[in-house]
Amino acid sequence: MSFLSLMVKNPFRNRTRAALAIVGIAIGIATIVALGMVTGGLQSATTSTLKAGAAEIAVTQTGANAFESGGGTLNDTLATDLQNITGVKDTAGILRANANITGASTFGGGLSVNGMDSSKLSLEGIDSINGTIYSNGSANQLILGTTAAQSLNKTVGSTINLFGTDFTVTGIYQTGNFITDSGAFMSLNTLQNLTSNSGKVSVIAVKVTDNANVTDVSQAIQNAYPNQLTATTAADQANRINQGLGFINTASTAISLLAIIIGGIGIINVMIMSVFERTREIGVLKAVGWKSRRILTMILGESIILTLTAAVVGIIMGVVGVEVLLAVTGAGFKPELTLNILLRALGIAFLVGIIGGLYPAYRASRLAPTEALRYE
Amino acid sequence: MSNENNIIEIQSLKKSYDKGKIKALNGMDLEIKKGEFVSIMGPSGSGKSTLLNMIGALDRADEGTIKVANIDLVKTKDLSKFRSQEIGFVFQMHNLIPNLSVRENVEIPMYETKLSSKEMQERALELLKAVDLADKVDQNPTKLSGGERQRVAIARALVNHPSIILADEPTGALDSKTGDIILKLLKDLHIKEHVTLLMVTHEPYVANMADKIFNVLDGKIIEEKHGEQELEQVSAN
Repeated sequence: MSFLSLMVKNPFRNRTRAALAIVGIAIGIATIVALGMVTGGLQSATTSTLKAGAAEIAVTQTGANAFESGGGTLNDTLATDLQNITGVKDTAGILRANANITGASTFGGGLSVNGMDSSKLSLEGIDSINGTIYSNGSANQLILGTTAAQSLNKTVGSTINLFGTDFTVTGIYQTGNFITDSGAFMSLNTLQNLTSNSGKVSVIAVKVTDNANVTDVSQAIQNAYPNQLTATTAADQANRINQGLGFINTASTAISLLAIIIGGIGIINVMIMSVFERTREIGVLKAVGWKSRRILTMILGESIILTLTAAVVGIIMGVVGVEVLLAVTGAGFKPELTLNILLRALGIAFLVGIIGGLYPAYRASRLAPTEALRYE
Repeated sequence: MSNENNIIEIQSLKKSYDKGKIKALNGMDLEIKKGEFVSIMGPSGSGKSTLLNMIGALDRADEGTIKVANIDLVKTKDLSKFRSQEIGFVFQMHNLIPNLSVRENVEIPMYETKLSSKEMQERALELLKAVDLADKVDQNPTKLSGGERQRVAIARALVNHPSIILADEPTGALDSKTGDIILKLLKDLHIKEHVTLLMVTHEPYVANMADKIFNVLDGKIIEEKHGEQELEQVSAN
């Protein structure tokens, strides 16, 4: 039997104790993995707003938020005016409104409804639709994002009541952006009429020409309408969201530290108990010629094997937990398991193994053979 | 005086415990020749186990000189190599590792050698055959009888081809019949493997199996005599 096999075999002598130690550390690792996957998924979702074909700039009334469904604040004629600015390829006025509806899985608790010219949906990243697009001017047609359709249990042909009017779902779209996919789009005129925002839009999506610099065009728009319009690039929007996600990363780091401290203490306890129970055996190992260094390596190795096993269990728990939780809640983004998360989980487990095993291993290696052999 | 036939040479060896209150060895002198079977006898607390620990390099002396297999145990810093290469221990309570198989227990001393896993396995099997346990190599030692466990311990002690076997009351936890079998095995293997056998016991009839008997009292050798009985005579008693 190899020395490694011996180290793998030893920690599981007391299966209950080993299992409890593994579960304790695995919960910490699972939390780290789960948070990492959620953060990664959200970051990817926000990054996807930068997808090719979609508008690069969102123009709003100065002081308004491009993501808020705040009703109409801009005259929709501005969308045409902005096309005169150098570097602007296309524009589309979008009216955003929030519709109260049961079961909607969207930010703010309602369904985010967007009114927009159906020929310009690509500016919002909507390239393909399962079904058909609503026709401009139609008073009772809309398309739903996949996440919204899933949470509201709607399919093509279903009816949905918004603002007191029954709408037929003509199509389902998917952009990969969890905000967009959680909403609905209908004719601009229809939403303007339903929300008493005639001639108004919330935001103007601006697509720049191929050779234009997005930042320069953005600045040109603001210069053309000082103190009136604010132009935000999609990259800026993604960065802002990612900054918001920073708190999850901070929480993840804090949990990692807690996992190291609590897991380390737990492993110290388990390994000290193990060394204590095997005092006589360690005496025998010394008597048959084992060097102190080999005993130290064995105990430290056993500790690392315990924590790495916990890491594998924790990673499985984290992945399964996040997938199940997001599937049940119908969140509009896909969690991401990256190599970085796996390495982080394994690294933390390895560190806990070293920290937890070092003192017991040192103690075992320093045992006097005669005293260890006398131990009852 | 140094003699090349001697495997153990001890002069004026002193060892005390509890800040000098307990004098376990009090100026002991001892010479044992290569290939001898020697018994150390004496009452509890006489210093016989301490002497065994000194010879086996499990503990260090306070004063005096001790040379085993031409190695000065006072001057040598790392004694683990000496224990691995020169000494085989047989304890009263066998001290096998319960979660390992019989074969794996016998392999344990070979981890400090440069043998491959396969070579370790082969050597362990060879020894287990010699102690008549070839059919129990994969068994857990907790499922063996006391005598069988002690046979595994003997195989473990011999696995690294040691110069000396140190047996501390090897039959102390066994019934007399099993004890005799173990004694006979130890004696046979010490002859077959050309190993010096040093056995601590407080039972005169067990001590009498040896070529030579040293009686210890208050940390000193007080008597040296030759063994009187053959094992067959003991068995017949």
